[in-house]
Amino acid sequence: MLEVSTLAAGYLGQKVVEGVDLEIQSGEAVAIIGSNGAGKTTLFRAIVGLLRPMEGRVSLDGRDVTRWPTHRVASAGVAYVPAERHLFPAMSVKTNLALGAYPRRPNREALELVFDIFPALKGRLQQHAGTLSGGQQQMVAVGRALMSQPRLLMLDEPSTGLAPKLAKDAFEALGNLKARGMTLLVAEQQVPLALSIADRGYVLENGHITLEGTPRDLDQNPEVRRAYLGVA
Amino acid sequence: MTAAILDGIILGLGFGLLGVGMTLGYGLGGVLNLAYGEFAVLAAIIVAQAISGGIPTVLAAVLGILAAAAAGVLLDLTLMRPVYRQTGGHRVLLGLMLTLGLAFVIEGVLTWRDPLGGLTIDISGKPITFLGVPLAVGSVWAAAIALAVGAALLVFFGATTFGRGVRSVIQDELGARLVGISPSLVRTVIFGLSGALAGLVAVTQSMTSPVTVTGGFNLTVYALIVSVVGGLDSVAGAFLAGVLLGIVNDVSAYYIGSYVSDIVLLGAAALTILVRPRGLLGAYSTVRR
Repeated sequence: MLEVSTLAAGYLGQKVVEGVDLEIQSGEAVAIIGSNGAGKTTLFRAIVGLLRPMEGRVSLDGRDVTRWPTHRVASAGVAYVPAERHLFPAMSVKTNLALGAYPRRPNREALELVFDIFPALKGRLQQHAGTLSGGQQQMVAVGRALMSQPRLLMLDEPSTGLAPKLAKDAFEALGNLKARGMTLLVAEQQVPLALSIADRGYVLENGHITLEGTPRDLDQNPEVRRAYLGVA
Repeated sequence: MTAAILDGIILGLGFGLLGVGMTLGYGLGGVLNLAYGEFAVLAAIIVAQAISGGIPTVLAAVLGILAAAAAGVLLDLTLMRPVYRQTGGHRVLLGLMLTLGLAFVIEGVLTWRDPLGGLTIDISGKPITFLGVPLAVGSVWAAAIALAVGAALLVFFGATTFGRGVRSVIQDELGARLVGISPSLVRTVIFGLSGALAGLVAVTQSMTSPVTVTGGFNLTVYALIVSVVGGLDSVAGAFLAGVLLGIVNDVSAYYIGSYVSDIVLLGAAALTILVRPRGLLGAYSTVRR
């Protein structure tokens, strides 16, 4: 579904990621793991057009979307949830969710899915998004993304700013989405969480993909164990 | 006193429309459009010339409003392009300089072509008595039109998909892009709407007092004051501020003298920035960017 080839991107002429190749099949959950500063956010920003790639190609179902503006990539079915969430703070949860379906009217089926995954949002529909806790904001951000009935859901560091228990809940919700057939691409530095829902994972180090494999492969790789799992 | 307050409310509803137009441009593009009042004057002159050319008043008014809307769209698509590429203080400053220049150009051209130009739309009829105060028919019409348009704007921004999209760009532009909204398209449409509002104010204002070729600067100042007091991102706030300031303006003119009313209005704006920077009903500080 999504194919990224020899992608390079960065800021002020400096490449932060380079030569990145990856692909995601429909229905797959793929994790990008890597430490802080490895280039996960830069890679995601380049994929959705928030940052113009310096080299390489991004294609969606065979269509070249490399130079598309972000709103067009979004309309083509790629929903991106950035680590900072970027909700509309002075609007209600309900309106935030409704805007996820832009330019269409909110779809009942999509809304039911959101409430199924995040029942806690049901009681907060009238509350302004800016007054929610971090965990609730994360739910609204994912919920807003789901309202567009995306074909691919991309999440950058969904555990950011969440207490361990809430981060675990967030990944449980993502696992739930995967079980319903959602295609997921998740960047995460908390490797065990990321691997808990992934079919496959890529390790991003200093802007390059250094490893690729199933969670089992990665879990048993001595490099990964040493660098990310704190095992000597 | 009642008469001064009622006149103030009528004046203030017009201020409210001006404030909405100014506020939207600032919220979306970080630009304070100092040519805003000139858009109204441009519309007024076009309406006046169309009427004197034999075109029916209503049609002439529509033409003037469309011309002001076109001026707004053109401003967004041309002069504002380099402004949008800047960020923070540079964006505000460049926007101020360019729109100020545009204001001089529009005023210069209009006074050169039509030095005595101005628009007065006379609506004849017996004054309508309200709360014991006789109100000119023109004033009642002006107030009714401003109220109707204000209500339509509230519905547009509160309940329509595109209107909500506009507010989402004001609140978080990146978030808006992520849900599939094109901020540049929204800006172009809203600059057109904002121009149309300026044109509409020229028409309603001219029903109570003449809009002259040199009146643009005053209108810009009123729009600025109202948008500061009302708050960014709030149509209702702009109207509330417009009405309050209209009352303040007319009451202070009535009791002290018209020379003091502008000072009182600017004082109110300064006080708002100091005491309540997000404005009466705005969600954000107007000094955000």
